[in-house]
Amino acid sequence: MSTRVLIVEDEPEFLRRFSEAVTADPALHLLAAVSTGRAGRALLEAEPVDVMLVDLGLPDMDGTELIRHAVQRHPGCDCLVVTMFADDAHVMAALEAGATGYLLKDATNERITGAVHEVRAGGSPISPSIARRVLARFRSSPAAASTPPAAAVVATSAVPSPLSQRETEILQSIAKGFSFETVGEVLGISQHTVVAHVKNIYRKLAVHSRGEAVYEASQMGLL
Amino acid sequence: MSPAGARGLVALLLLFAVATARGLPLAPSEVQVLVGERTSLPADDDPSWQPAQAPDARVTPVAWYRVAFDAPASAVDQGWMLYLPYLYGGGQLWLNAQPVTVVLESRADLRVRWERPLLLPLPQAALRPGRNVLHLRAVSAGEPGIVFFPALKVGSQAELQGAFDRRFFVVRTLPQVTLVAGVVVGLLVVSIWWRRRQEVQYGLFGLAAILWALRTTTFIFDLLPAPLWPLWRMLYYASTGGFIAAMALFTASLTGRFDRRLAWALAGYVLLGPLLYGLGGERGDALVGRWWVLGLVPVGVSVAVFSFTAAWRERTPGNALIAATVALATLAGVHDYLLASGSTALASRLPEWSGDRIFLLHHAANLMLLVMGLLLSARFVHSLQAVEHANETLEARVAEREREIATSYERIAALQREQAVQDERQRMVQDLHDGLGSQLFSSLMRAERGALDSAAAAVTLRGAIDEMRVAIEALTPDDRDFRTAFGNFRFRWDQRLRDAGLEPSWRVDLPDAPLVLSPDLALQVLRVVQEALTNVLKHARATEVQVGLSHRAGELELDVIDNGAGPAAATQGGRGLANMRTRAARLGGRLQVEFGRPGARVVLAVPLRAT
Repeated sequence: MSTRVLIVEDEPEFLRRFSEAVTADPALHLLAAVSTGRAGRALLEAEPVDVMLVDLGLPDMDGTELIRHAVQRHPGCDCLVVTMFADDAHVMAALEAGATGYLLKDATNERITGAVHEVRAGGSPISPSIARRVLARFRSSPAAASTPPAAAVVATSAVPSPLSQRETEILQSIAKGFSFETVGEVLGISQHTVVAHVKNIYRKLAVHSRGEAVYEASQMGLL
Repeated sequence: MSPAGARGLVALLLLFAVATARGLPLAPSEVQVLVGERTSLPADDDPSWQPAQAPDARVTPVAWYRVAFDAPASAVDQGWMLYLPYLYGGGQLWLNAQPVTVVLESRADLRVRWERPLLLPLPQAALRPGRNVLHLRAVSAGEPGIVFFPALKVGSQAELQGAFDRRFFVVRTLPQVTLVAGVVVGLLVVSIWWRRRQEVQYGLFGLAAILWALRTTTFIFDLLPAPLWPLWRMLYYASTGGFIAAMALFTASLTGRFDRRLAWALAGYVLLGPLLYGLGGERGDALVGRWWVLGLVPVGVSVAVFSFTAAWRERTPGNALIAATVALATLAGVHDYLLASGSTALASRLPEWSGDRIFLLHHAANLMLLVMGLLLSARFVHSLQAVEHANETLEARVAEREREIATSYERIAALQREQAVQDERQRMVQDLHDGLGSQLFSSLMRAERGALDSAAAAVTLRGAIDEMRVAIEALTPDDRDFRTAFGNFRFRWDQRLRDAGLEPSWRVDLPDAPLVLSPDLALQVLRVVQEALTNVLKHARATEVQVGLSHRAGELELDVIDNGAGPAAATQGGRGLANMRTRAARLGGRLQVEFGRPGARVVLAVPLRAT
């Protein structure tokens, strides 16, 4: 069964480029290629989607909003954010919304389809500075040290356990600039396992961010 | 001194003395005196007997007094006593021609001066109801050869004991207390002055207290071996004059008029008295006692006038207190002088008071010492507070100054940071201008004249995008750690090299501590590596590439090794090599290119201190 791909990108050139790359791969099935967030959301409701490629700068809504929607309503859907420079701020926003990977806009066709396969296979790439930011994000978590009444609220909204020892080690090594290969060698695991861990970390980050939002909302009396 | 003034002084100073002068049980009904030397009791019919009063004062070495009194019948059973407020030179007592007692007189080897009152029991056998006669031999205590006869009283012990005790307290116990207190306080204050010589007041006050204590010994020793007498007398004069002079100087100093010449002049006058006495003996004693002591009175009076003027000009409680005390002491001094010299002026106006012969300067001086001590301690406390205040002010100013310095340091640091940011920005603008800018412009020119096909345009644009990416990588890390920037770079290029069919390997040999480089330096270094890798991709036709980064001995070393075409590739990548050399030179580093067969090795070494 081929992987069903949805592309949401407002620039026609890139839309065409991504569509071509996906259709060229027999293992992938291009479900649709749309240029607005609303259309993307409608499609998500209408059809099951395996992988969604999303541009952050959509005309009608923020890409992170669409990612958040997809992750919440369709847990089986992997979201890859499409970014021009893979700069930290954009990537982090997408990861916190629930994206589990990212793609550069000028990526070659092989890279595009490679990334889709990779994320389906359970792995995600991560750059050192993103690793550093993710670590920082977990460290500054207020949920871990919350007061009892707030903890009760947070507990009902399924706040994640903190990162496992192994995940923290991986992030720390990557943040120091070690390659996946080296990290795998040092920890005695395959490179494949490393990227699988990274995808897990991304998932935790998204849940953690949501938990934090809930926590903050409860602190402000909104819940 | 006016009689009213004297009465006021009496009322103010010594209420206890008044008690001794009233309520006496039985005064003599008749007093007679016989002036002249007699070895034994003169006969009653001696023609030299003359009527007299009690009290009485005669300029003579010896005088006999005959006193008659009427005793009630009960007196014999009660056991009567005779109360003598004073009998300075000693003498003998008979009751109805029977000897009662002998009070030691001065001898060749002994000098007496009885300051204490006497309470003598009258023998029961000699006392009889009705008229009794007492005979008293009274001797002069020496200078100035005057016999003082007191207003004696007879009565029961119950009636007389109180008067005796009061007078004993005033003339004996109080001086003893003064002696001890004066020496202790004086030594303490002098020890303060010893450590702080500029505080003359402490020295003067301490000196005054000690001198006064020495002078007080006059009232404490009734008997003195004759050889010591002149010395003691000199000490008496020196301490009296010295005390008055020290107090005068102290007052002057307190009101800010201390004068060194005045101090020497007073010291000279004070020493003159004991000196005259020492040279002139008994005659000197009379001279000193009458005239030298008189010279001290104007010193006291002028001090009083002076302190009154000061109090008038500057009306502080302290000045007023000084003035009042000094005035009081001066009046007491004048009073004592009149009393000691046996002046009739005082005796005729205040017969009862002067008959009691209570010397006042002694007590006024105690009061004066007390007041001066209080003022001095007030000044001491005040100066302590002033020091505390000064310390607080100083601390506040130091803190203020520290804040100012900290603020200006901050400002300087901020300016320096701003300057550094400006410089950095300037370098980057220059870099964008020379690199990406010229690249885009030349491509534009070529495209406009139709000399740029789509493949070449894609290459150019990809180059431009790479430029931007490397810039973002160099500038993004929040921590400025080059390891992060290089990691991001490696992350991007690893994928790219693999996609191009190359087998990349990365070798990073950096210390654990963050490697902080300026953004510009980080950018330049990454560009050189990017250029080298681009060359490998474009021209080398290699299958493997090795990138190494190490830091040792203050140098950052980067090398890119491939297994490609070697020198053949270099001719095509000539432009890139030249660029890399220029950048290396700008960083103060060096670029080495070695060609093998196959492959090439590009090494960049950059000194980190040079940035």
